[in-house]
Amino acid sequence: MTKRILLAKTALDGHWRGLSMVARALRDAGFEVIMAGMAVDTEIARAAVDEDVDLLGLNVGGRVEIVERIVSAVREQRPGLPVFAGGAIAPWMKKELERQGIEVYPPGSALGEIVAAAQRLTAAG
Amino acid sequence: MSDHAARERKTVSGIDIAPLYTADDVPPAIREALAAGPGRAPYLRGTYPGMYRERPWRIFQLSGFGNPEDECERIKFLLSQGEHGFIMEHDRNTADHLYDVDHPSVVARREDVGLTGAVIMGVRDFETVLDGIPIDKTYSHAGGGVVQHAPFALSCFWTVAKRRGLDLGKLAGTGQSDYFLTYLGCVTKQQIPTRPGLRFNADIIEFCSAHLPRWVPVSIAAYNGADTGLNAYEELGALFANAVEYLDEVRRRGRVPMEVAARGVGGISFRVSMDLFEEIAKLRISRKMWADLLENRYGVTDPRAAQLRIHVVTAGSSMTYAQPLNNIVRGTLMGLAAVLGGVQSLGVSGYDEALSIPSEHAHQMSVRIQQILQHETNLTAVVDPLGGSFYLEKLGAELEERGWAFFEEIQQRGGFLATLDSGWLHEVAHRNQFELMQAREAGGRIVVGETDFTTDISPHEVDGFKGSSDAWERAMQRLEQLRRQRNGKATARALRDLEQTCRGMDNLMPAMMAAVDADATLGEIGAVFREVYGDWATPIRA
Repeated sequence: MTKRILLAKTALDGHWRGLSMVARALRDAGFEVIMAGMAVDTEIARAAVDEDVDLLGLNVGGRVEIVERIVSAVREQRPGLPVFAGGAIAPWMKKELERQGIEVYPPGSALGEIVAAAQRLTAAG
Repeated sequence: MSDHAARERKTVSGIDIAPLYTADDVPPAIREALAAGPGRAPYLRGTYPGMYRERPWRIFQLSGFGNPEDECERIKFLLSQGEHGFIMEHDRNTADHLYDVDHPSVVARREDVGLTGAVIMGVRDFETVLDGIPIDKTYSHAGGGVVQHAPFALSCFWTVAKRRGLDLGKLAGTGQSDYFLTYLGCVTKQQIPTRPGLRFNADIIEFCSAHLPRWVPVSIAAYNGADTGLNAYEELGALFANAVEYLDEVRRRGRVPMEVAARGVGGISFRVSMDLFEEIAKLRISRKMWADLLENRYGVTDPRAAQLRIHVVTAGSSMTYAQPLNNIVRGTLMGLAAVLGGVQSLGVSGYDEALSIPSEHAHQMSVRIQQILQHETNLTAVVDPLGGSFYLEKLGAELEERGWAFFEEIQQRGGFLATLDSGWLHEVAHRNQFELMQAREAGGRIVVGETDFTTDISPHEVDGFKGSSDAWERAMQRLEQLRRQRNGKATARALRDLEQTCRGMDNLMPAMMAAVDADATLGEIGAVFREVYGDWATPIRA
């Protein structure tokens, strides 16, 4: 069955290029991509349930607290849903997110690497 | 070594590169343009006759974050370090969207507020940012990169100047109101549609021509198209397609002489990235393309209009996350290319660009790179030192031809605004970028520290800039205080007048100036725009 991935932007920051590249690569690899865009925690959590997704991808353009708020809202509805993130995530913040079980792919990560991560993270379900 | 020798040689835009160029490669039209010399149409060899011998390029960096006081301090720091002007950065959450800090979309992301620029909600905040900064003596960029934000930013800045008793007619600086940023590179959640945006920009051009002759009213930042994925000749073609939308509108209205309008639109910015010769060729040929366009389309030959003034920002996307100190070298190389292309002003991206907004040290480094180029290299001694290079001139001719072809393609698709509305330009940019990334992953393009040579023994941890964390709370307090202290009736009246003006045909700017003078806030002005114009239907499918 086709695996479904929800992609969202955590910030009100309009840099779409990175997310667009990731979405293309995932679609080319056979995933169904659902785009939540610039959404807030409750909207993302609702979409994760309604769309019955297998993975959540967050484009982070801001502070760690926003990511934490989103992930906690999502995990309340969908415990165990894997989450990965990309964007301008400074090294200290990357460590912080990884501690919370979020895989991080900072700028410069290969699309192939991101697709492989999506395949691995959705394989269990 | 066999791999190296067998490599396909193309520019990053895909133009074939021969192993050697000779005099025969330089086309006759380029020879003619070379013969005209610098400071004379079509300006291939330089905008001005003496170039950097007479005046070095302007060191011009983006700066700002946090609270208005933080931004004020950073601007003063940069000016004290030798910067020649400043570019105000506004918090994207609030400014780009015209939201006050109590808007639900902002409250849900309150920790982000202030991260990308200071929170500036009204003329009082502008007064705080500009406190102690001699805006009559520096060259200023008030912000307003995003189209719907520009009338607000400009009105606030000019109101501060008026309150200081300064003569607006003598104020030097630049607006931006950039379509590439707003509708292509940095698409917000809510934005006025492209047509009313065009009205705003034409109003600003007319207002400046009447009241602020030394102010650049709008500035097309093709940079934002390029960093979204447009290649060098697409950047050229799209830039001019954008310029003719503005100029055709001003001509249709018939209130400003075309040479004045063209001068107003002729201060632009490009991106320079790592394919150095292609970028130098692009900058040089852009001047010829601009002069040709003005003469052929509008019959304008006045040098003050035909001299394209170029600001360059080095490509943020060329700055790597891995081994960030390498980016100091990249910034230097891209800055060098900009200078060899003959730019009038330059901003070098921070070496921590991929991690965060620039730290104070990264900012200082961007200024220092430019100072080294200005003072230690003898680069400023000769006008257009690479002029006549067989390779460069041939490449310029090729970019010119392809640039005009792209311009024509945009015209055939209904013009620049239509290609933004339809999402065609986004698709072109994103497809290019995707192909570049695929080529990189197939081993066709080495990025040092990222794809190869990944061992790093640097003792320097670069951790990104964290900024101030109280920007949202303090802005909430200011907002509450403002609503309590201001003359609410006067504010409401000014906002009603603004709405009337938006619905009518008069120039928007006098009503904007009156609204900010009456302490109307960013969000209140945004509410008026949203009520009158509605939202742009974003074509981004990501």
